[in-house]
Amino acid sequence: MDKSILVLDKGTRCTAWNYSGERLVAGLIDGSLAIYDSTDPASSNFTCTHRFKGLEAHNGSIVKVVWAPPEYGDAVACISEDGNLSLWEEIVDDTEGPHWKMCKCFDRNTSQVLDVQFGYGQTSLKLVAAYSDGRVKIHELLDTLELEKWQLQAEFQNVIDLVSKFGNVSCISASISWNPERIEVRQSSFVLGFNSNTPSLNSAKVWEFDLDHQRWLPVAELSLPEDKGDQVSSVAWAPNIGRPYELIAVATQKGISIWQLRSNPDHDGRLSVHRVALLSGHENEVWEMEWDMSGMTLATTGSDGVVRLWQSNLNGAWHEQAVLAPPS
Amino acid sequence: MPAVTSDSGEVNSLSIVPHSLETQTLRVYPLRTRTAPPFWRVSISWGRGSTLRVSLLQPGGAESDGEVVEVNLTNTERGEISEAERQRIAHGSVTPFALLQSRKNQMDELHSADFESAEDKAPLWVHLMEYSNEIKSLLGTSKSYITPTIEDPKALLEDVEEPTSLKAAWELVEMFYADKQSQTWIPERLLDWLADFDCLLSATQPTVHARLVAFQKALVTIQEVENDPEYWEIMSSALGIGWLDIVVKMLRLHGSYQLDQVGTREIESGLVEAVAVLISQMPRLRPHISDEKLGECYNTKPEFMKAWEKWRTQLTKLDCHPFWLQCDHKQTRVGLKNMIQIMLGNANVISNATYHWIELYISHLLYIRPFTVGLESMYTLAQKCMHLKPITNRHKLMGLLIGILEENTEVVLAECSRSFGPWMITHAAELLTAGSAQAEMLLHEEQSKIGGICIEELHRLIYAQILSSHALTWNIAPIYLTSCMKQGLGLLENLLYKQPVQQHQVLSESIEICRLNGIDYVSRHMMKIAGVHYWKHGEKNSAVYWLQQAQDEVRLNRIAKHLFDLVGKSVSDESFKQWEGMIDLLGTESKTAGGLEFLKKYRDFRRSLQQVQDGITTDDARKASEALISLMRNPSTPQQFWLRLLNDSLELLNWKDRPLFNVSQTKLLLNKLQELSLARLLPGYVDADLPPEAFKSVRLALASNLGRAILEE
Repeated sequence: MDKSILVLDKGTRCTAWNYSGERLVAGLIDGSLAIYDSTDPASSNFTCTHRFKGLEAHNGSIVKVVWAPPEYGDAVACISEDGNLSLWEEIVDDTEGPHWKMCKCFDRNTSQVLDVQFGYGQTSLKLVAAYSDGRVKIHELLDTLELEKWQLQAEFQNVIDLVSKFGNVSCISASISWNPERIEVRQSSFVLGFNSNTPSLNSAKVWEFDLDHQRWLPVAELSLPEDKGDQVSSVAWAPNIGRPYELIAVATQKGISIWQLRSNPDHDGRLSVHRVALLSGHENEVWEMEWDMSGMTLATTGSDGVVRLWQSNLNGAWHEQAVLAPPS
Repeated sequence: MPAVTSDSGEVNSLSIVPHSLETQTLRVYPLRTRTAPPFWRVSISWGRGSTLRVSLLQPGGAESDGEVVEVNLTNTERGEISEAERQRIAHGSVTPFALLQSRKNQMDELHSADFESAEDKAPLWVHLMEYSNEIKSLLGTSKSYITPTIEDPKALLEDVEEPTSLKAAWELVEMFYADKQSQTWIPERLLDWLADFDCLLSATQPTVHARLVAFQKALVTIQEVENDPEYWEIMSSALGIGWLDIVVKMLRLHGSYQLDQVGTREIESGLVEAVAVLISQMPRLRPHISDEKLGECYNTKPEFMKAWEKWRTQLTKLDCHPFWLQCDHKQTRVGLKNMIQIMLGNANVISNATYHWIELYISHLLYIRPFTVGLESMYTLAQKCMHLKPITNRHKLMGLLIGILEENTEVVLAECSRSFGPWMITHAAELLTAGSAQAEMLLHEEQSKIGGICIEELHRLIYAQILSSHALTWNIAPIYLTSCMKQGLGLLENLLYKQPVQQHQVLSESIEICRLNGIDYVSRHMMKIAGVHYWKHGEKNSAVYWLQQAQDEVRLNRIAKHLFDLVGKSVSDESFKQWEGMIDLLGTESKTAGGLEFLKKYRDFRRSLQQVQDGITTDDARKASEALISLMRNPSTPQQFWLRLLNDSLELLNWKDRPLFNVSQTKLLLNKLQELSLARLLPGYVDADLPPEAFKSVRLALASNLGRAILEE
């Protein structure tokens, strides 16, 4: 049922698998990145093929790594402990075989980057980054073949009321999840939640790009009125293979909420949302959540150190299906 | 934590299949890892299908390294069927499944076209049975486990490959739902089924089969078998569940048959033989029986009833015969009488002779209620038998059988999927929907609670997801997905998006799947990934090829621009060779990018110029000059290259023998030069990397060519 497929280098702080599960990138405590590849496509044994130091100028651990969509190459974005965001890609050039080079280091001014995610399937690659001052920046790639050239497409705070601006914001963490829909004609959208000292920034909001006005708009807020200020630790947008609604999981200290989002905007342009489940399991913080490829099963991990699998039964009732527990 | 640790050997509820009848006990599966808590972080990522990869990261200063564990959430029934066997079954069942789907579709079409069941068309159940037989043959040999061999009179059981529960379950479903022909003789079919699969039940419960196996082992050492009480007990048991051939064979082992006994034990031998004959003549309500089995078959109930009454009369007559008083061997007398009682339907004797409730059940159907047809009150009888023979550890087959007997489709569905896994429910659903209106409704009704799909589709999706977990089975998942009306295509897309396109075989298989299913946008996406991968990894020609296949104009234009830059920077022969091949590729579909046409023409121009330098013939020079004119006339030739082209052609402009350009051609070139001189004054003009005197030299050469051309004309 389970087998160990890879031994990670000491000091690994975060990992991410690429789109096909054939490569793993690991971020280490000394600021290096390690790439693991399978030795043979038929087997699932992986060994480290590249290890390189991240940003020279910035020391400290790598806290998050994310793969870029594969149609832009073998590239990862990584966030270091001091909040720098850089972009690395594997290339072969005239002088050298496959090697990793930094193609972009994003300016960060004073605030730190907390989370970053690439969007799928748009004609141009978008990168959304959430900052410790509660701002969200969306960068857009200018040249499909060069990951060096980006421009800032938008910048806003995670609030429903676009007029309000908050100062003195301090965020501990943020979580972003793009709508995994790949069809290019659809408007791109993502969900974002913060864990901050400012209640109105925290709740998970769905942002959608309004093509007509060329701007990002909050189209839904995924929290009940009484929970609006709850700090969000993780969000995950489920793949939709044909349901008439979207499913988004949002984790707060109260548990994991499963939200249904329907694409029928009201007169304010807001989409109708409905919480279908509040699941409790992980005792404290939820670390990560990920949906399977059919969007039927949600896997979560948390500070209790176990993996939990959640599913809806045929009556639409969500429940915990299984727990995968490492030996204690 | 409200959880219990998994204790039984069955891990199948880890297969992530939703049910409606949940007996929700949360199960905890211990991961076999080297690393132990506390963890700095536990990170998760779904692989293809239903594999989950869990990264266990250790805190700083920890002794050990972290590790990644891959958990396959689909392994069901571990032990009974090996992984290789499972894959064989998965591959083997694709064709029958696809064929049945296409036949069903055809029938639907015929039906909707108002062709009322054309005569030459076989009814659905014929196709279904064909399908079911093919699946059955995949699941193992159909040889009965209790067939005796003739060679060795003491071999009661033949050694055959142990059957699987999966096959047993399939046969149950087939018997009760699909096989319309066997509906009239269900008890006999159940009897055959038990003959094949009683050995499976031995694992959890004492059975006739288990006792027979034990007795078979002991038989070689027993001298006078008729003195052994076990001999008689086992014969009664075998008779009870209708294994007539075994009973007759055992009876013939009786000592009175020995040649030296003929004179002394005639009566005894006669009674044994009389019972054996009556057993062999037992009327059976079934159309046919295999040669090695005993009994006389009757196809219709009235015929059977008549024969039954006659047989029973003979039994009663034998039972009351005065010969019994003359039989001195007590064990034989008691044993034979006991067997007659079983055949006469004595409930107490039958109950004592059988072990498992299903054996008692068969016994009841054979001797107490021989006229049972169809499912009438079969469940009540089953309940009674279960009450008489309570079980402590229920075999999963019994769960399924009870569900079938009580005609509870939900239970049958749940048992199929929970106990026998997604393969079973996906394939057995075909039989269920055909055989029961209730099952049909339950499986085909759209469920708004699970996103508007029906349960049949749900199970197909889950099964396809499981197939896609494995590199050797992912490519058959599309067959099941395309049979899903609503969400199959969506899952197929997601499955394809996760394929490693750098592996050439995977890419070509995927492209073919996309082509067959009309999802070219997915294959274009995959080819785009391949193209970019090759581009970034130095294989420019492959990159261009795949990007063209992907019709990725954005990136192709970008590459064309990249080539322009090369043209502008250096035209040394070395670099020309490098990108010449790429222009060839790019040029094959000139529509892909406007600039490519220029590049192709430029390539031709360069080639002829090269020939001029090599050979110096006027013919070559003329060709080169035509190429230059064609380039300069072409609106897609970027302005930034004009001067470069003209400078490269100085030799042509100053051709010694005769002017190569006529007046109008020279005027065109002069106009271009004029345009260029104006453009140079504008901001944003990119000056070609040429010596400063280039402009002047070109102008001079053009002027002199014009002069010569005018004179010539």
